[in-house]
Amino acid sequence: MFREYYVKDFTPNQNIPAIEKREFGFASFEGWMLRHKTFSNTDELASFLRDSVPLHAYVSGAYYEDPEAEMEKKGWLGADLIFEIDADHIPTPCNKIHDEWTCNKCGFSGKGIVPEKCPACDGEKFDDHTWICEVCLASAKLETIKLLDMLTRDFGFHEKEMRTFFSGHRGYHIHVESETVKTLDSIARKEIVDYVSGLGLETALHGLDENDLRNLSVNDSSWRGRIAKGMHGFILNAGPDDYKNIGLERSSATSITKLMTSNKDGILNSLSGSRPWRTIKGIGPETWKRIIEHSAKQQTANVDTVVTTDIHRLIRLTGSLHGKTGLRKVEFPAAAIDSFDPFKSAIAFKAGTTTVFVSNAPEFRLGDETFGPYQNQKVDLPTAAAVLLICKKRAEVAQ
Amino acid sequence: MQHSFSKFAKNDYARYPFLKAAAKYMKMPNLKIQDLADPGLKGILRRAEERLNEAILSALVSRNPQHDADIELMSFPVAIILATATEDSFVKKRYALAEANQTYEDLKEEPREKVLEFAQNFVWKLEVNSTRSIPFECSLAFVDYLRNTTHLRDKHWKLVNRILSCGKVYLSIDEAARLLKEEVQRHIEKRLELKELPRFPPNIMDAAERIKKLKIEIIGEQEVEGFPKTIVQEAFPPCIKALYQSFSSGRHLSHIGRFTLTSFLINIGMPPEKAIELFRSFSDYSERMTRYQVEHIAGERGSRTKYTPPRCETLQTHGVCVNQDETCRRVRHPLGYYRRKSRTA
Repeated sequence: MFREYYVKDFTPNQNIPAIEKREFGFASFEGWMLRHKTFSNTDELASFLRDSVPLHAYVSGAYYEDPEAEMEKKGWLGADLIFEIDADHIPTPCNKIHDEWTCNKCGFSGKGIVPEKCPACDGEKFDDHTWICEVCLASAKLETIKLLDMLTRDFGFHEKEMRTFFSGHRGYHIHVESETVKTLDSIARKEIVDYVSGLGLETALHGLDENDLRNLSVNDSSWRGRIAKGMHGFILNAGPDDYKNIGLERSSATSITKLMTSNKDGILNSLSGSRPWRTIKGIGPETWKRIIEHSAKQQTANVDTVVTTDIHRLIRLTGSLHGKTGLRKVEFPAAAIDSFDPFKSAIAFKAGTTTVFVSNAPEFRLGDETFGPYQNQKVDLPTAAAVLLICKKRAEVAQ
Repeated sequence: MQHSFSKFAKNDYARYPFLKAAAKYMKMPNLKIQDLADPGLKGILRRAEERLNEAILSALVSRNPQHDADIELMSFPVAIILATATEDSFVKKRYALAEANQTYEDLKEEPREKVLEFAQNFVWKLEVNSTRSIPFECSLAFVDYLRNTTHLRDKHWKLVNRILSCGKVYLSIDEAARLLKEEVQRHIEKRLELKELPRFPPNIMDAAERIKKLKIEIIGEQEVEGFPKTIVQEAFPPCIKALYQSFSSGRHLSHIGRFTLTSFLINIGMPPEKAIELFRSFSDYSERMTRYQVEHIAGERGSRTKYTPPRCETLQTHGVCVNQDETCRRVRHPLGYYRRKSRTA
């Protein structure tokens, strides 16, 4: 089926700047990995994909003098600035309840986030079967939106320099292709990661003092403004539980909630810069400190730290199929991220049906159709849905 | 933006002889090393040696308005030749630092326009801030900022703690001068990186010997690495302890975790053979791959560079840094922790 896609539907007319300077890598269905490949144009690449039909296809974010040489002799010229946001790395409201794990030692299995130790035998190694759900992808999208906002407003990247993608599995990628960042070393990229993820952030260095909030406003630049926005969002919606959850003592949380609620409009107006700050009796620096800390955390973008700092990394090739889903890595305009639907846009197999035997699968949606749940049954499915279940090891083609 | 005329005159270039345009004012911009044997250049040579002596003694290079501007200008490239001739990495580093320190002292006294022009020499995008709501004098393109701050330790230099807006980092003119110091230091260090040494005339070799002697007198022989001969496990930093424990209990280590642990052990003197032995307990252990990786890190393969573990800050970013203790606060590198702790352990 992957072959059919690469023969019929894969379009080589995609934009890979300086393709001849990049390294390509492929993982086969048989489990071997091929690296250090080069192509001088997209037609050559397309023809290679047709002939070899890989399970995964990758291209380097880096540019080399000689991409075919072994790592030390490649001659690194620079690299795009790349961010990956993956639902695997972020806490999601679904708590990954759809993921399954089995202990390698005793075979005990369970659902949700993989535990540190097996509850039955204390084993520490597991096989896991992940799933992609709408909640996971919505969380990843939210992180991506925050990141895009920082890259545009704080780092000043132009829309044309940033390309946004859905990975084909559980996340989003952003590639910044700009001369200015190309030669940044790994340590400079680490500073960028720390900026977007708020690591090492000291609110006091942004003039944020829990004893004196004067002049703090959502219109402020940089992290100061971001924290103000976070505070605005939090105070607008917070109930008693939320105040408890940010670390206020149970006894005072109730009275603070009351005070905050009765002064809500005033505080929100101050935060929006339309009214001077006034002290509110009963709400002390400790409370503000907690709110500030919580708000800062809410504003961070949870990126995969390793991807951005690795200046030699191979990144999934746009338009190629993800071996864990059979969905494509697709590019879409950053401005359209709100309405972007990965379960629709990333479908590679648009026609035909396939009969599969499904061991088990939760309810899921592809395109406008909803499927499942299934449990040990034979079903006729649109090919895209069948491929997804097969890739996820939840089904086999029925004989 | 190109300035139509420069605010710098010959006297300024005598203070900043490493700037590109300084060459225009040098009497012999294409001086050859062999020319230095010429007794006519004695004055220049004497001042060049003095520059290096001052660097070793005080980490500064004096700027005396009484000095002859021509000698000041020419003695800089000659000092570079002298420092190269010592083949002593300490002397070279120290000289770059001294010129940079002095530059910072001088820039602090300069009017803003001169600092801006100075920055232009290094193709910095340093501008006067015109955004009223931001209380800083100037702004710098964030890439220029990062190139000169990533090794600075103080929290207030960390990008996340700066105002960053539309690609510009806002800073005071004094901070800009401070970062220009870093740029100058790097620039001079680069000029001192000469791979193949030419033949120096005897008077240069003599001067180089005198400089090295002074260095030993003042600084002493450099400490060699400073690690104990046998491995002191109690002196491992918390991050390494955690990695060590989790792998000895058979848990999977991330790539960066494995790299950190291996490079740490190799650097404190564990023989590669023993490190490979250690990694046998991994369930996904492959003799061939492990041997390759370990020998690679030890510099016995591939690029032949011996890798050191990432510094603390990088380990924090990747979540490898855990259980920080009192000593952690005083070091910025896991090897620094070990060096310190193993002395007292």
